[in-house]
Formats: sequence, structure tokens, C-alpha cells
Amino acid sequence: MGETPISSDLIRGHIDTIVLGLLSVQDRYGYEVCKQVTVLSDGEYELKEPTLYSAARRMEAQGLIRSYWGEGSQGARRKYYAITPEGKVAYQRNLEDWKRARRLIDRLVSSQTEKE
Amino acid sequence: MEAIKYYVKGAFQGVKETPPVLEQQEELIADLTAKVADLVAEGKSEEEALGVAIASLGDLSALVAEFEPGEAAIVAVPTANVFSNRLDLCVVAISAGVGAAVMIGSAALGAFSSLVMPGAGFSLLAVLAVAVWWVRAAYLRYQDAPRAVEVRELVYSQRFRRALAIWAGVSAVVTLFNAVSGTDFWCWPIWVAGGAWALSIKVEQWAAVRSEFRAPLAHSDEHA
Repeated sequence: MGETPISSDLIRGHIDTIVLGLLSVQDRYGYEVCKQVTVLSDGEYELKEPTLYSAARRMEAQGLIRSYWGEGSQGARRKYYAITPEGKVAYQRNLEDWKRARRLIDRLVSSQTEKE
Repeated sequence: MEAIKYYVKGAFQGVKETPPVLEQQEELIADLTAKVADLVAEGKSEEEALGVAIASLGDLSALVAEFEPGEAAIVAVPTANVFSNRLDLCVVAISAGVGAAVMIGSAALGAFSSLVMPGAGFSLLAVLAVAVWWVRAAYLRYQDAPRAVEVRELVYSQRFRRALAIWAGVSAVVTLFNAVSGTDFWCWPIWVAGGAWALSIKVEQWAAVRSEFRAPLAHSDEHA
């Protein structure tokens, strides 16, 4: 697949928050999370599975999410992820941080162009 | 699909097959399979779908590299298995010790009195041993079973084979001893006990598989 239209560097730092947000709605398995990201972004951003697995492993070690095996569609089992209470707290904190950062960056990047 | 399995196994080549690695592989295989099924549902041919799914994964090397250096030291055998192996050994040793004592004791008594039969002592012992094994199996169901299917298959089939081998060996020795000593037919409880041991491993394996699916499913399957 080609280049994603948006720089993935800008998004990378927020992958944890994105995943936590998706898991706070319901438990999901890995591919489901990736698919949901594509749908929500109208295809503008694609979360690759390996990136998700790395993030999930890290967040599971931090206790923000937990995983369990559940039944899949054709008798095969699937690994589901669920958010923990700690994860919910972290999600809310990240969300507040992001809102503040967004306001700040908006102000910073636009004031610069206005003054020059 | 076999092709997915080969691709994933290939990507993880050179990585020690620890339980976390096998779990990651299984997760990757399951997710890729779901993705291919989605693409096929969209009208792509199976081969096309496979190509697209693998290409969209991108580079696996960063993920694979996470496993290699730090986790190579992890023991491939889960602790539950080590623990139950040790327990097996203890149960066998205690049973053999008590069995020998009962046999010698009742043989000595039998020499003086016809009331105590060596066979009766052994039957009692066999019943006790089977009871102990069943309690042990029940306890182990509370232990963490290895989570990756492949690890579990490996662990249980190894234990089952060994149980069968021990059972056959002990039965042969005991039967031979029974035949040679010309005593009454007292070796059958040992056949039963050994057989029950091997069987209890199969029961454990089954219980481990079942308990896994008792994990709560937060939502119904959308792909059904």
C-alpha cells in the first residue's frame, strides 16, 4: 500500500490514546482495532498491525489493557484486548493533554504566520 | 490458510520459540486470516487477498526484534508444567514407597497368617493412588495452563507419552513379578492406576482448553 496521506510521525505519539479510546467502547481483537482506525479516518490513516501489537504489548505490561483469548469465527481463537480501570484513567488524562496541546499548538503555529 | 502460517513463521525465524512469541504468532495468524476473509468478501481472489493483506502489514522486523534479545532467557517450559512434573514425581515416589512397604509387610504377615493377602493391600493402595491423582488433576485446573495452543499441545503430549511409557513399564515389571512369584492376580490395580494417570492428563488438557473459552466475550462476533 502506498504512502498514507498524513504524516504518521504526527500520529505516532497518540497511538496509545487512539487504541485506549477504541477499547473503552468495547473489547476488540487486533485486526478489528486496525480496521476501525481506517474506518474512522476515512482511510486517511492506516494503523499497521505490527505497530498495534507493539503498543498493545507495552500497554499490557503497564497494566492499561489486558488480553484474553476468545472464540473467533471459524473455530479459531482470537486474542481480544480490554481496557483496565487504570487504562480508563490514562485515556482521560491523555485526552485532556491532547486538547490542551491542540489549543496551544493552534495558537503557536498561527500567531507565527500572523506576526511575520 | 497454510500460506499465512508459513509467512508468519518465516518472519519470526531465528527467534526463540518462547510462549510469548508463539502467542504473538498465533495472534498474527488469526488477524491475517480475518483480514484475508474480509478482502475475499469484497470480491478479491484468495491469492490477491493474501498479497494485499501481507503487503499492508508492512515491516514485521521491528516487532520481531522486540522478542529477540531480552526474552531469549525465558524458559520455554511454563512453570505450571514444571510444578506438575515435580508433583508427578512425588506422587510416584510416595506410592512406590508405600506400595513396597505394604507388599513386604503383608507378605511377612501372610507368612504367619493366611488372613492378610498381599493382593488386598495392593488394591487399597491403587485406589488411594488414583484418588491422589484425581485431586492433583483438579488442583492443576486452577493453575495457569500455557496459553499458546502449540505450547500446550507440546507440553501435554510430552506428559501423556511419558505417562504411557511409565505405565507400560511398571505394568510389565509388576505383571512379570506377579507371574514369576506365582501369587494371586494382584497386579491389575496397578494397571488401572497407571492408566488412570495417563487418562487424567488428557482430562487436564481438555479442561485447559475449555476454561479458556469461558473468558468473557464482551461482544458478539461481527464476522459470523
